[in-house]
Formats: sequence, structure tokens, C-alpha cells
Amino acid sequence: MARRVAIIASNGGLETAYKVLNIATAAAATEAEVAIFFTFEALAIIHKDAANMLTMGAGKEHYMEGFKRANVPSIPELVEIAKESGVKLIACQMTMDVTGMKKEDFIDGVEVGGAVTFLDFAYDADVTVTF
Amino acid sequence: MADKSVDCKGLSCPMPIVRTKKAIEEIEPGQVLEVVATDPGSVSDIKSWAERTGHQFVGTIKEEGVFKHYIRKSDPSELKPEKRYPHVVSNEELLQRLTDNPVIVDVREPAEYAFGHIPGAISVPFGKLEETIGELKKFADQEIHVVCRTGTRSDIACQILSEKGFPNVKNVVPGMSEWTGPVEKRS
Repeated sequence: MARRVAIIASNGGLETAYKVLNIATAAAATEAEVAIFFTFEALAIIHKDAANMLTMGAGKEHYMEGFKRANVPSIPELVEIAKESGVKLIACQMTMDVTGMKKEDFIDGVEVGGAVTFLDFAYDADVTVTF
Repeated sequence: MADKSVDCKGLSCPMPIVRTKKAIEEIEPGQVLEVVATDPGSVSDIKSWAERTGHQFVGTIKEEGVFKHYIRKSDPSELKPEKRYPHVVSNEELLQRLTDNPVIVDVREPAEYAFGHIPGAISVPFGKLEETIGELKKFADQEIHVVCRTGTRSDIACQILSEKGFPNVKNVVPGMSEWTGPVEKRS
């Protein structure tokens, strides 16, 4: 059976988005089964309006120039690659209830689930990462 | 030296890996993929990726800030050859015979050959064996040592050669993966 990588993303911001998606897409390219559980601020990563919601935190603006120079893909592009490579994207139901977000606010292909949905995948995971 | 090349110049992690994975799906088992990248991290990433996914990492060439990585797509059948060619020589035996300038046919891919082969070995990639067989006729009355990486491709090559009228063919086992003798490289 393929290796499994279970990822919890609970922070917002561009940096977290890149950290999460780099690991997820690299793992998927290495033929692992990957699931990401998006909770709290991290829901912005899979939001249709991610481009406007994700910013580089104060004092970290200098990264932006480097991102451009290194030709790093945009977050929506990376999410698309993740989806194409079979990464499971799970939005946290509880955070959605608290913030009033709806499934329609997210990009297509996102699953909505509770903690158990993620745990069910994570119980058989070889690697678990938290961002 | 490769069957397909994928251009990852200017791309940073994880894109070279993502592109490599996609490209390897588009070639046949046994073929070699070239990944051209400028990301220094790709040097260890591509190697780890190949080992993890079971493909053969052949080597990396660095040319003026550009890395060229070579990966050979593995064939599931390599792991379980059905019929074994009975006439073999060990790496050690071949090493002892080297001073007599034996005929050695290396059936690996050109990229594998370029990254290191026995001095004097003739490169005849396995996939081109049948069309090259005429050129080997001049060695038909001599002992021909056939070598690959693990002894599997050369096993099948020996079977083909003996069917095509080469009476004295020997499979070198285990082959280049454990070769400790002299090696000639692409300069």
C-alpha cells in the first residue's frame, strides 16, 4: 500500500499556504496518499478568494520579491496541482460554522468534514505534519 | 542520451519533482528521462524521489549552473525474470579476464553507459539489440560478455543472441551495480 501523509493546516497567510502545499504536492508526486485538513485561518488557502485573503505577514514583505525571482507558482496554481495529483482537501466543518463560511465559498473538489474524517485518514498515516 | 527531456529551468521546489513525476508517466519502462533544472535543491530531491518511487537514478551532470538529471523508468518485470540464461560469469571472473581484451557488450541505456562502463565495452542498448545484431556478427566466434546493471536485461539479451546464432555468450552477474573494476566515464 502507498505511504500516507496526513497534514493539518491551521494558520493563514501566504507562508503557511506555501509550506503546506509544497509538502503536499511533493508527497503526492512521490506516490503517497495525501490529505490536508484545513481549519481556522487556513481555510483561506482553499477559499475561492485566496488571492486576496492570503498575504505575507507584516515585516515579511521582502519575501515577495524572492518568490517572484524564484518563479514560485501562485497558491491557486499549487492547489490545482495538488488536486490533480489526488490530494484530498478537507475543510473543517466546525470552523465553517463558527465563521459562517459555506462549502460554495471554497474551490471545487473540497470535502467538508469533522475531526473524525481527518483522523480516519490519519490513523493509518506514515507521516503527520502540522502547520 | 535520453528518450524524453523535461525543462524545469527557473522553477523552484516542488515544481521540478511535480514535472518529473508527470513526465515519467509519459515514457515506457526502460526509457531514460532527462530533467533539466536550475534549482540546486533538485540534486538531492530528484535522487530521493527516484529511490522512493522505485525508478533508477542514473546520475546528474552539472553544466554552467544547469543540472541535468537522468532517471531510468523501471520495469516491473525486471524484478522477476521468468527464464534464466544458464551461462554466466561473475563480475570477478570478468575482471580477471580484462587483460585479455575480452568482447564486452553493455546493453544498458546510453545514459547509464555514459555515467560509467567497463573500458572497451561496446554500447548496444537493449532496445536496439536486434537491429544492431549484424554489427556483432564479427565477434560470433569469440566469447561475448553481456553486461547490464543487475544481470536482468543482459540475461534476456543473452537469450536473444544465442537464438540468433551466437554460440558463446555469457551473462555477467550481477553486473555494473556491483562492478569494482576499472570504469570509463563520459568526460
